[in-house]
Amino acid sequence: MTDQYDIVIIGCGVIGSSIAYHLSEYKQKRILVIDKGFPLSGTSGSTQAWVWVHNKVPSWYGELSMYSAELYPFLERKIGDVEYKRTGGIAPFFAQTDWDKALRLAEEQAEVGIKVEVLTRDQVLEKEPALSPKIAGATYSDMDGNVNPFRLVELYIKAAKRNEVEFSFYNPVTEMVMEKDHYKIYTKNKKDAITTERVILAGGPWSKEIGELLGLDIPVKQVRGQVIITEPLAPFLKHTIGGMRQAENGEVLIGFSKEEVGYDRRTTMDVIQETAQMAINYIPSLAKANIVRSFSGVRVIPEDGFPILGKIPDKKNAYIAAMHSGVTLSPLVGTLMAELVMVGETSICLKRYSLKRFMNYA
Amino acid sequence: MDKSTIVCRCEEINVDEIEGAIRLGASTFDDIKRLTRCGMGPCQSKICMNLVRELIATNLGVSISEIPPPRMRMPLKITRLGILAGKTSSSNVVSVFDEASLEAGERQND
Repeated sequence: MTDQYDIVIIGCGVIGSSIAYHLSEYKQKRILVIDKGFPLSGTSGSTQAWVWVHNKVPSWYGELSMYSAELYPFLERKIGDVEYKRTGGIAPFFAQTDWDKALRLAEEQAEVGIKVEVLTRDQVLEKEPALSPKIAGATYSDMDGNVNPFRLVELYIKAAKRNEVEFSFYNPVTEMVMEKDHYKIYTKNKKDAITTERVILAGGPWSKEIGELLGLDIPVKQVRGQVIITEPLAPFLKHTIGGMRQAENGEVLIGFSKEEVGYDRRTTMDVIQETAQMAINYIPSLAKANIVRSFSGVRVIPEDGFPILGKIPDKKNAYIAAMHSGVTLSPLVGTLMAELVMVGETSICLKRYSLKRFMNYA
Repeated sequence: MDKSTIVCRCEEINVDEIEGAIRLGASTFDDIKRLTRCGMGPCQSKICMNLVRELIATNLGVSISEIPPPRMRMPLKITRLGILAGKTSSSNVVSVFDEASLEAGERQND
């Protein structure tokens, strides 16, 4: 580790490591990625890792997810097998009154080219026979799928390392000083400052704390999600279901909870029990499945729900990428942020996602 | 132990894979777990816990007492999903009356 870089990325989750890899493809810059922990010890390692498109609304946000999902097969050819599977996604509903909502969703998503079908009970059960006959119907899209987040982040890092990106783990950033044309970054494990021309904040749920080092107010919330995991079962779920999926090794991951409890990552009995109940409501035969463990993760959600992407206003050469659904958006965000830093403009307009939108009424 | 010795029986992870993760910078059991799946299987690291801690200690040249154990996850012991949901009575909960009837030769389950 030298002391001078062109670009320093703070955060090595699925977003930070993707940006690092995509930047490294240009093979022009000296890049360092710093993380306070070890890869996958935070949000990116505690997710069901759906690559989920079909009910991301409004449609302009869905569109972003769609482009990202489309990049996955291409990404896999470049960095290796990340176990991406485009399974198709089913979001079941139980009430007849949800039909209207489902039809409106299909209509809205059609505007940007996301094909969402509204299926009757019989049509759903034909696709996924394990689902409960009590469901009323479901929305379905063949764009949806899932990925192995552990493989994804590991392969981003390995590919970036091949392109000479450096990484520093277990090394929290303690101070950042903006000087005339560069940043000085102080970390826990290094006495001297690291100097860099550009800095990219990719701290996920910890964006707030990192932003404060630059005197910024990054408007994000922390949201806890709890997930339970069965022992490996014979393959029986073909699709990614809104709420659960079956991994390649047969385990079923179940969970769809949201709690605002800060950085508390404990699992709690009440949510685990509700999650178990949801699993049985969706798939009655799961009652007999054995649960091996549970885990929870702290996810980040920007105050208005949409990604914060792009240059940081009023700060020279500083960028931010903070969003929910990082796994879905990772290949696209990596590509766009690399374009922004290297070329100065992006192939998809990011104006809507600027941090500026929060500053106008601050 | 040679390189191909299995450390984690549930996920069939060998010494070489553990050391590969350590070379990547992993320094705790949980780091290794996320990279290799070691300890994620049905036994939930009951078998591999100390073997892995020993490997970390040896490879990094530190005392095993400095390597924390993996994070334990609810429900600690394999449990039916239906029981977690509260629909089925748990076979693990035994009252003294059940104990008595067991002694009398009755079967507790089924």
